[in-house]
Amino acid sequence: MARIGVFICHCGSNIAGTVDIPRVVAEAQKLPMVVHAEDNEYTCSEVGQRSLREAIQEHRLNRVVIGACSPRMHENTFRNTVASAGLNPYLLEMANLREHASWVHGDQREAATVKAIDLIRAAVAKVARAQPLFARQIGVTKRALVIGGGIAGIQCALDIANAGFEVVLVERTPSIGGRMAQLDKTFPTLDCSACILTPKMVEVGQHPRIRLLTYAEVKEVRGFVGNFEADILQKARHVDHDKCLGCGICWQKCPARAPSEFDMGVGQRTAIYIPFAQAVPGKPVIDREHCRYQQYLEWQRAGAEGKKPPECRICEKLCPVGAIDWEQRDEMITEEFGAIVVATGYKTFDHSVYGEYGGGRYPDVITSLQLERLMSASGPTLGEVTRPSDGQPPKTVVFISCVGSRDDSVGRPYCSKVCCMYLAKQSIMLKEHDPEVQSYIFYIDIRAGGKNYEEFVRRAQEEAGTVYIRGRVSKTYPEKGKLIVWGEDSLMGRPVQIAADLVVLATGIEPSEGAIELAQTLHISYDVHSFLVEAHPKLRPVETMTDGVFLAGTAMGPMDIPDSVAQGSAAAAKVCGLLSKDTLALEPMVANVNAVKCVGCLLCQQVCPFKAIDTETLRDGRIVVRINEGLCKGCGLCVSACRPGAMNLRGFSNEQLLAQVKALTR
Amino acid sequence: MDLSQAIRDKARELLETGAVKCVIGYETGTDGINARPAFIYEAAEVDRLIFDETCGHNLATYLLHHRAENIAVVVKPCDSRAINLLHGEHQIERDKVYIIGVVCPGVVGRQWGVKGRQLLPACQACTDRNPVVYDYLVGEPVAEGAPAPAPPLPEVEDLERMPPEERCQFWRREFERCIRCYACRQACPGCQCTECFVERLEPEWVGIRIDAPQNWMWHTIRAFHLAGRCIECQACRRACPVDIRLDLLNHKLAWEVAQLFNFRPGMTAEALFPLATFVRDEKLGVGEWASS
Ligand SMILES: Cc1cc2nc3c(=O)[nH]c(=O)nc-3n(C[C@H](O)[C@H](O)[C@H](O)COP(=O)(O)OP(=O)(O)OC[C@H]3O[C@@H](n4cnc5c(N)ncnc54)[C@H](O)[C@@H]3O)c2cc1C
Ligand code: SF4
Ligand code: SF4
Ligand code: SF4
Repeated sequence: MARIGVFICHCGSNIAGTVDIPRVVAEAQKLPMVVHAEDNEYTCSEVGQRSLREAIQEHRLNRVVIGACSPRMHENTFRNTVASAGLNPYLLEMANLREHASWVHGDQREAATVKAIDLIRAAVAKVARAQPLFARQIGVTKRALVIGGGIAGIQCALDIANAGFEVVLVERTPSIGGRMAQLDKTFPTLDCSACILTPKMVEVGQHPRIRLLTYAEVKEVRGFVGNFEADILQKARHVDHDKCLGCGICWQKCPARAPSEFDMGVGQRTAIYIPFAQAVPGKPVIDREHCRYQQYLEWQRAGAEGKKPPECRICEKLCPVGAIDWEQRDEMITEEFGAIVVATGYKTFDHSVYGEYGGGRYPDVITSLQLERLMSASGPTLGEVTRPSDGQPPKTVVFISCVGSRDDSVGRPYCSKVCCMYLAKQSIMLKEHDPEVQSYIFYIDIRAGGKNYEEFVRRAQEEAGTVYIRGRVSKTYPEKGKLIVWGEDSLMGRPVQIAADLVVLATGIEPSEGAIELAQTLHISYDVHSFLVEAHPKLRPVETMTDGVFLAGTAMGPMDIPDSVAQGSAAAAKVCGLLSKDTLALEPMVANVNAVKCVGCLLCQQVCPFKAIDTETLRDGRIVVRINEGLCKGCGLCVSACRPGAMNLRGFSNEQLLAQVKALTR
Repeated sequence: MDLSQAIRDKARELLETGAVKCVIGYETGTDGINARPAFIYEAAEVDRLIFDETCGHNLATYLLHHRAENIAVVVKPCDSRAINLLHGEHQIERDKVYIIGVVCPGVVGRQWGVKGRQLLPACQACTDRNPVVYDYLVGEPVAEGAPAPAPPLPEVEDLERMPPEERCQFWRREFERCIRCYACRQACPGCQCTECFVERLEPEWVGIRIDAPQNWMWHTIRAFHLAGRCIECQACRRACPVDIRLDLLNHKLAWEVAQLFNFRPGMTAEALFPLATFVRDEKLGVGEWASS
């Protein structure tokens, strides 16, 4: 027989200010199976919890209802409290008298009180049918998978490895480093990006506990927190990295050319290449598409018609250790992991939708990342900033901000956060390269929140003499070797016209190619812009709604290097916390199947968004389903899909919910 | 060749070679208008088998009760869709079932208020003459146009035109008669549940009382469970001892699903059921389902 205790919290005046507490207590006392009801100033306080414990013992309560705030806030607190009094923690039900009654009916004391009584009655009806639940323990694979080797992923991998756990770092391109490796200097301190990044890259390359898989991608992930299994595709490099010395003779002599992805197309690379001099690993890959020998093989396969391409194989002839391996094939590597971090970073907005800026049409309209490459001492021009059209140094440079940011009309309502700062940086750097340069920045607002950021923008204005013009650019066109930029100075209320040598578009930040596919593989959510979504924007910023999967860096939204690094470390802390456990308690509020009733229609399997439903063949040959409790999130979709009612949700059983509804509609 | 003889020959062969344990077909009924299901286990018995316009029963439903053995079954086009339905819903193993498909001229059946033999209205409107799945075909396949869903039955259109009050009256009169024998459910290939919602006590979706509101509930929920799954074999209507027009109810829902999703259940075993499927990034417009 259920012996239910009801505890009504005042929450200071939050509830008591509106709801007539004594009346709720009196009504609660009259409910069936309720043997005790009381009210507390703050049930969550030390005093309140003690009173709860004492009442459980004194009245031999075996079920508890607490009328207080949202279970999101204090359910855990109270579960622990009732557990410490010897009760199964799942024999507790919370009625949300604050968010659902007092706060929403602030000026209607009577209505709020009646509703509070209803909510208590429903909670009593539900808890009376509650069953004790027990968390199952599962083991943990003490290895982490970090996807994406930008600064966020690098930091995260290093922190986890230095804490003593194994890490596999998977990077899609031939080298780690990400966007930061492409940058020249970094705001607000102007330290050289490569100088601060490369030591970390080398540390990753040398770390005994980090296995680095570059030129690789995660294709499939199965399992659940503590017990993931991932299929990682290692793309064929055609270079045996165990033999390769990284001497560089091959990429110095390779005759084939392709636009360099790393240089954002303003430079070229060879077909066998490392993306940049300090790449980690410092060993090359062969890009099959541009390799002449591969083109030759392709021509042979296609029937050897038309002009015969050169058979090349120069790299093979020159390699002193015979590392070139034409037979190498893509290879699938399967590994087990306890935790996964997604740090897949960003790409920049495709500016071609803004025809008025002339990007793509006029060679001297470039993007900010291209300018970084032109300014970089290791870039295609060795740090000499020149115009793509004629190789002349530009003297007048116009920057256009918010290209694909803060613009609903192109589906990018958000601020890319780093552009204002890097525009200031780039204008300062141009002045340092050549004191004759005059920069103009068309801006909407200057966003410079952050330590020393506002000062940095001031430095651009005052020391570098950068002219900030508030307004949008309406058109750009070439005239006599210059680019005429028409815009509006909205502060002065007049049109402006600048004859520029170079126009730089501050293209906004958006998630990397393939972010959605990866998110779907991992069962994590993404927003309308395909940025990955954190479990809570304030309190759980690097977690996802899928246990054991974490986020870091710009894959979840625009941010600068300090924030990406902080997130990398934060995600690492979460991963270490997880991997340091030997076992994990599984949430017991999951679905369960009554195999007798299950007809094996597998409708539930189709609706389950977490792939938590497997099939099993019984001894009599019947096929029924089984819940993978590690994956089930207790969403209840399967329960509603099941026609014969074989599915039920622990802690939210059909019986409990119907009793609750009945109590509410009494 | 005579359809009956073709079936007998095949049945004999299957039983003699031991390919199947039993052949489910039809034999002559006692009332002259309804053939009766025959379960033939011995080759010597095959001459009992017949096929003609009295063979109304959907025999595919019996497969639900013979899951363990290899079985041969005689199916008409609508019954063959039931086989795909059962297969698609994982209720049968396809390689355990040998399908003898019959090209169907339409069937008769006892119809209230109709004297003598007359094709069922659904058969009169039917455009599917060839089975959609079979291992052996009996009869000459009929050339068919695109399997576009036929227009709604005239009787359903009549119902739609009624003012809501009158339509409500119509259904009340239908459901009031129901004696809750559940013959419709037993005859239905889509009713596969081990425990029907109508028998559940906790939660008690439908009261056990036999009265209009409870009956109404029973038929409504059952219709929803069959929406997008009912292959309109008429088995429920044929089974009902008080001639409730379940065919009209199911036809209405089947028609809606066909319109909305461009989908007819049972046409293949692989198709996803539109009302029971969760597809990533599913953003379909009206009628786009089956073509997607
Ligand atoms: C022009 C410009 C100038 C900037 N200047 C500054 C500055 O001065 N100071 C500053 O603080 N910030 C600056 N930033 C911002 C800075 O670039 C980012 O904050 C930082 O690079 C984010 O790092 P990340 O690791 O999150 O992403 P990324 O650097 O984008 O790294 C992500 C990595 O993941 C890899 N990847 C992607 N998808 C997959 C996949 N599916 N599988 C495996 N690997 C994958 C990518 O190849 C990449 O290596 C600037 C940005 C721009 C555009
Ligand atoms: S409750 Fe949700 S997550 Fe769990 S098995 Fe059912 S559908 Fe999947
Ligand atoms: S929906 Fe129900 S009956 Fe169908 S497989 Fe799932 S649990 Fe079994
Ligand atoms: S067969 Fe007829 S009487 Fe029997 S339950 Fe079905 S509708 Fe009711």
